Amino acid sequence: MKTEPNIADPDGFYEAWIAAHEGLADGESADLDARLVLLLANQVGDMAVLLKCIAAARDADD
Amino acid sequence: MSAETWKFAPAYELPQWPFVVPPDLATGDRIRYPVVIAGGGLAGLTLACDLAVRGVRAVLLDEDDTVGVKGASSRGICYAQKSLEIFERLGIYERIRAKGITWSVGRTFSGHDELYAFNLKDESFSEQPPFINLQQFYLEWFLVDRILELGGTDLRWKNKVTAVENEAEGVIVEVETPAGNYALECDWFIDATGANSRIRSAMGLEVNASRSADRWCISDVKFKKPFAVERWTWIDAPFNEGRAVWQHLMADDVWRLDYQMGEDADPESISRPEVAGARLREQLGPGVEFEFVWIGPYQYRDHLLETFRVDRTLFIGDAAHVVSPFGARGGNNGIQDAGNLGWKLALVLAGGAGEDLVDSYHDERYAAAAENLKITKRTSRFLAPRSAAEHRIRRAVAALARHHEFARRVANTGRMAQANAYPPSMWAKDGARSVQNVVLDGTTVMRLLADGTRFLGLWIGASDADIASLQGVAACWPLVVRRVAAGSDVARHVAAGPGTLVLVRPDAYVAAQIGAPTPERVEAALRRALSLEVRA
Repeated sequence: MKTEPNIADPDGFYEAWIAAHEGLADGESADLDARLVLLLANQVGDMAVLLKCIAAARDADD
Repeated sequence: MSAETWKFAPAYELPQWPFVVPPDLATGDRIRYPVVIAGGGLAGLTLACDLAVRGVRAVLLDEDDTVGVKGASSRGICYAQKSLEIFERLGIYERIRAKGITWSVGRTFSGHDELYAFNLKDESFSEQPPFINLQQFYLEWFLVDRILELGGTDLRWKNKVTAVENEAEGVIVEVETPAGNYALECDWFIDATGANSRIRSAMGLEVNASRSADRWCISDVKFKKPFAVERWTWIDAPFNEGRAVWQHLMADDVWRLDYQMGEDADPESISRPEVAGARLREQLGPGVEFEFVWIGPYQYRDHLLETFRVDRTLFIGDAAHVVSPFGARGGNNGIQDAGNLGWKLALVLAGGAGEDLVDSYHDERYAAAAENLKITKRTSRFLAPRSAAEHRIRRAVAALARHHEFARRVANTGRMAQANAYPPSMWAKDGARSVQNVVLDGTTVMRLLADGTRFLGLWIGASDADIASLQGVAACWPLVVRRVAAGSDVARHVAAGPGTLVLVRPDAYVAAQIGAPTPERVEAALRRALSLEVRA
């Protein structure tokens, strides 16, 4: 799992991510993020990396 | 509201076989047999038939006098290629093909959209199709007929096992019959009495059972509407309140329609003809006449016995393992347990293999059952989300599957049963993969394996001199050697290059791949596969 910076344009990505949620109700937003996770997971592909990302996402919530 | 009336087709007429007073009871002597099997379901009958073909005279005890489940209709319906290949070897495949429904295409829908389709034929080298659907009792019936035709097997109807005692060198089995009780002894006792085995529970064995909250209701129905002869599944059918539906054809023009119900649904009310009929009307539309054959509500469960061998008692089929129905991994694995065990028992009883070979039955079939349990649990979790988050994740999969191939792979309405590969072991150091029933030189792998109990050596690109060099080994061991052209279907299927000898076991699994084969190397591989001492 990459943790060093790898997103070329962090501010631009953040902007696009929140823009995608504009005008959506909470449920619709959550649906969108779920679809986004699945699309991004297919970019990664590697099962070991995916499992590390799932664990890191879960652990970061405190 | 117009009142519709619901018709029922006449019940299936099942055969009955007579109770005959067993010789042990008539004479009062305790007789010893090589193999006694309790339970005449798919697993027990397949094993009895497999042993009969190998010349082992088994006794089969069944508490009933017919096939199928008392008061119910068919349970299993889908028979997988590996099972069909076993039945080809046992001599009932043609009867199954003629009666059953051959299929290879499956489609999965969400709402009104098709999410994905598969054609299992694309990956097949076998003479047998990927699947045939047939009511389970027909299969059991064909097995009984074949066992009777082969002779040598003692089928005892209305013989119920009441107690089992494991001794060091055998098993004592107590039996209740309409004419009185008796006991018999055997070298090997097989419990094939199914999911609720009392034999297993009397031995105090742990099965780690769990029951799903997910509820379903089967309607087996006859109607005249030209549905495709394919396996159709809906994750969320518009005609079943957004829940899952299965649609599949069996013999006699009977469709199996299996509806997922709410978790709080009352089994009695959802199976009333008017309630089940309203569901069907919703799916079939107005004007399509139908007749019920059977309505059966169920909840699935699973279990896995920790060891399939206790002394001289072996557990096969549902007595050993139960999984949810998705992917047809129940009955097929009972049949394949029998296919794994038959040749091992036959060779051990004949002194041609070490007794430890029987341990490889547990080793291999436990691994297969554990894999099937893992796979079917994943499907049931996809079909019955347990939280708002799980529903959300599944919605994401369904939404993206409408557009992208990668997401279709994540949608899971069952991963169809395949012959499980076995892990590396002392009997097969690289593990063991199944060999399909490929055609070679005007015969097939299964036909070559149908004659007695022997191994098949497929030597890729061998010369006449190569084949002659193994004549001595083939004369001393249960082995037949065949030359196989490099690049032929068989060679491609077993993925072996020129100069390699692929040693196929009597159950059509690869025991070893031998590079640069010599008589010594082939003999060493046979000794390993037969659990005989390997000479230095």
